[in-house]
Amino acid sequence: MSGDARGLPALEAQTVSLQDIANAITVQCRVLNALILRETKTRYGEHKLGFVWAFLQPIVMVVVIYFIFSAMRTLAVSEIHFSVFVITGFVPFAMLRDTMTQCQGAISQNTALLGFPQVTTYDLILARALLEVSVLLVVFGLMMMGAGLLGIDVRCENPLGVLAACVLLWILGLGLGLIFASLTPIIPSVRQVTSQVLGRPLFLTSGIFYTADSIPEGIREYMLYNPVLHMIEMTRSAYFYEFNSIYASWSYATYSAFGTLAFGLVVHRAMRKKAIVGL
Amino acid sequence: MIRLVDLNKRYRTSAGVRVVLDKVNITFPSGKSVGILGLNGAGKSTLIRIIGDAEPADSGKVYSDGRVSWPLGYTGGFQGSLTARENSRFVARIYGENTRYIEDFTYEFSELGDYFDVPLKNYSAGMRSRFAFSVSLACDFDYYLVDEALETGDARYREKFRKAFEERKARASVILVSHNEETVRRNCDMAAILQEGSLVLYDNIKEAMQNYKILQTRIV
Repeated sequence: MSGDARGLPALEAQTVSLQDIANAITVQCRVLNALILRETKTRYGEHKLGFVWAFLQPIVMVVVIYFIFSAMRTLAVSEIHFSVFVITGFVPFAMLRDTMTQCQGAISQNTALLGFPQVTTYDLILARALLEVSVLLVVFGLMMMGAGLLGIDVRCENPLGVLAACVLLWILGLGLGLIFASLTPIIPSVRQVTSQVLGRPLFLTSGIFYTADSIPEGIREYMLYNPVLHMIEMTRSAYFYEFNSIYASWSYATYSAFGTLAFGLVVHRAMRKKAIVGL
Repeated sequence: MIRLVDLNKRYRTSAGVRVVLDKVNITFPSGKSVGILGLNGAGKSTLIRIIGDAEPADSGKVYSDGRVSWPLGYTGGFQGSLTARENSRFVARIYGENTRYIEDFTYEFSELGDYFDVPLKNYSAGMRSRFAFSVSLACDFDYYLVDEALETGDARYREKFRKAFEERKARASVILVSHNEETVRRNCDMAAILQEGSLVLYDNIKEAMQNYKILQTRIV
C-alpha cells in the first residue's frame, strides 16, 4: 500500500527498495495513461469531428504553404517534389511549435487535477507533449501516404534518422514548453510572447520552405544559430536520397535540444511552487 | 495513522507574510475521525491540501500508513468540461482501480441520474460534492480528507453519506476541516484547533469546543 500515494511514504519505509521503484513506475504509467486519455477527450471530444480536425488542420496548413510558397520553389531542391519538401519541413516544425504551445497551458488549464497527489506538474506537461507528438507522427505518415497515392515519390532513405531529428525537435519544444508553462501562471502575458515573438519568426527562419543552401551567404551564418533550421535540414537529409545538407550539425542540434530541456527543468523546478500557488 | 513532522508553511501576501503552519508536529490515530476547527482564513484548506499532498509544504514531512484520499471539497480535482462518468473513469485510472466498478458505484451512489453524462460545469455546488464524495467512497481509502463540504446537499442525502462513512469507520478514518462546530460535533471523535500556525489536538471533543468558543469570542 505504501507506494500507492506518491509523496506519502509509509512510516517504516526509510530505504528505497526495488518494489518501491516498480510501484512508482506503475503509478507513473497509470497517471500518464489517464491524463492522455483525458486530454484527448477534452481537446478533440467536444465535437464529433474533433479528432478528424486534429489531423486535418496540419494537412490544410501544408496545402496552404504549398500554394503560397510554390512561387519560391527554386529555393527547394529541384529533384524533390515541392509538396514532400514542405511536408518534411512543416510537420517536424509543428512537433516543436505545437508541443511548446500545448505544454505552455498544461499547468494553468489543469490546476484542478493537481489536487490528486499522484498528479504532478511534470505529468501534466509530459502527457500533453506525448499526445502532441503521437498525433503529429501519425499525421506525418498519413500525409506521405496521401502524397504517395497521388503518384509522388515519397521514398524515405533513413526512417530512423528522420525519427531522431523529429525527437530532437520534440525535446526542444518540451524544454521551451517547460519554461513557458512555469512562467505563464505567474506572468500571463508570456502567452503572447510565445506565439507572436517566438512562433512566427521561427516559422519563417527555420527552413520550412527553403534549404539552408539557398540562403544568401552573408545571412546564412547568422541563421544557422537557429537550431530548428539545423533540425529541419537534418530531417530532410535523412529523408531524401537526393538531398544532403552540408550545414546541418547533429551535435549543435543535440546540444541545444538537451540544453534547453535541462534549462527548462531547472526553471520549472525553481518556479513550480510559485506556479501552483499563483493560480 | 497520519503523522505530520515539523511542518512549516507560510504565504507571502500583499499584507505581509502569513504563517499558516509553524513547526507543526501531530499524529492522527487510525480509526478515529478528527475534526480540525479554525476561523476563516486560519489556513484549514491549506492544511488539508498539504496532508493530501496536493500542495507542497515549505518544509517538514507527512507520513501515513494507508491510502489517503485527495482533499474532498466543492470542486477539487475535477475538470468542468468533462462529465461525471468521464471524471470517475479518470479517478479510477490514476488510482489503478477497475474503471467499470468505480463508474457503476459512483453512478448508483451519487443518484445523479441523467446528470451523470452532463459536464460538471453545469452542476450545482450540492451536485458537485455529491459526485466527489461518491467517487471517493468508490475508491475505498483508509483516510478521507474532507474540506467543509459535508454540509451540502439535502438532509436525506447527507444521512446516506454519514451511514456510508459510519460503516467504514472500522477501516477508514476521516480528517475533516471546518469552521462550523456543529459539523465537527456530529461527525468526529476528536477535534483539533488550528490557530496562528499551531495545531492542537484534543482527545476530549468538549474541551476543544470550549476553547474554540473562547477563540471565536476573543476575535469578535
